[in-house]
Amino acid sequence: MSLIHLSFYSAFTLSSLGLAFHRTHLISALLCLESIILSIYIGLSLWPVQNQATSFTLLPVLILAFSACEAGTGLAILVASTRTHGSDHLHNLNLLQC
Amino acid sequence: MLSLALGTMITITSNHWVTAWAGLEINTLAIIPLISKSHHPRAIEAATKYFLTQATASALMLFSSMTNAWSSGQWDITQLTNPPSCLLLTAAIAIKLGLTPFHFWFPEVLQGSSLTTALLLSTAMKFPPTTILLLTSHSLNPTLLSTMAIMSIALGGWMGLNQTQTRKILAFSSISHLGWMTIIITYNPKLTLLTFYLYSLMTTSIFLSMNSTNTLKLSTLMTSWTKAPMLNTTLMLTLLSLAGLPPLTGFLPKWLIIQELTKQEMTTTATIISMLSLLGLFFYLRLTYCSTITLPPNSSNKMKQWSIKKPVNTLTPTL
Repeated sequence: MSLIHLSFYSAFTLSSLGLAFHRTHLISALLCLESIILSIYIGLSLWPVQNQATSFTLLPVLILAFSACEAGTGLAILVASTRTHGSDHLHNLNLLQC
Repeated sequence: MLSLALGTMITITSNHWVTAWAGLEINTLAIIPLISKSHHPRAIEAATKYFLTQATASALMLFSSMTNAWSSGQWDITQLTNPPSCLLLTAAIAIKLGLTPFHFWFPEVLQGSSLTTALLLSTAMKFPPTTILLLTSHSLNPTLLSTMAIMSIALGGWMGLNQTQTRKILAFSSISHLGWMTIIITYNPKLTLLTFYLYSLMTTSIFLSMNSTNTLKLSTLMTSWTKAPMLNTTLMLTLLSLAGLPPLTGFLPKWLIIQELTKQEMTTTATIISMLSLLGLFFYLRLTYCSTITLPPNSSNKMKQWSIKKPVNTLTPTL
């Protein structure tokens, strides 16, 4: 059982490292965010399987709904930044320096 | 705007982690169009930075609650037993609130948004993560929280010293007030709530005064006395209250926090944070100086620019 735990903990860690170290494109950050949510979803879907409690099967669906909204918002922000800044390169986002 | 209220209510009244996360997500999603309403490149950039940081923090919070659930078998917010998930949760809430070392997004996001949106970002959006912090404060690491709080007060004071944009100054004042709120949370959470309420009241009045005179820079602040003189004097009093000078209301949370810290035998901490809030006092005094005490170099007769809907903040400094 702990092998499955290891798989989604390591998926989460890898995705969050990818989010922290994204260098050129905004869309890679959005992808890593989505894979974080996906690893949380997989970890959460195993909960009712393990505990034989079927009332918890709603939780992954709820998380998926909210994360889909969030992904849509992220993509909308990507489109907006491409419209105003010209590309999604991250070194273009430097208008607000101190 | 309504969904902001909805999201805040959902998070505040939740005892299951997923509802708390859902409320935070609703808040994030609702305020993104408010930030990026003006289609200015700075606004879109602020919205991008805000979205990335807040989404990461929400996902981190969900992950910490999931590891806690796998190790302890329940989803209750007040019972957080797994130490790694406590650490991750502290990091997630620090990112959401803007505590040091995760404060880098906050001045830039506040700079890129309009004054009313910045007001919402500094007061209303801080309320749900503060609630979660209050609910879980007995199981979080006090050393980590105190370290982050002291660094927040230090950084909020230091980085605010060289700023001329009023929104960035208010961002740094927000960071240092969050530091004051966090330092007392493990000892007396009611003081954290008191500090939060008084801070949001004072910040609301400052933002609304700045909104009606439309001062975004320090140089605009100098000529704002011509537009509404009464508002300018109350702005001065409110700024000094935010700095924490004794006869005004802003002194009350600082006094009570220092008293509580000395009761808990943390007198060096109390001395350090009082010294560090002197840095903040410098830029509050500079704002006061520029707005009320000096006259601008060029002569300006009394200009009546637009009709101002006067907010009720003329009474808040005398609270």
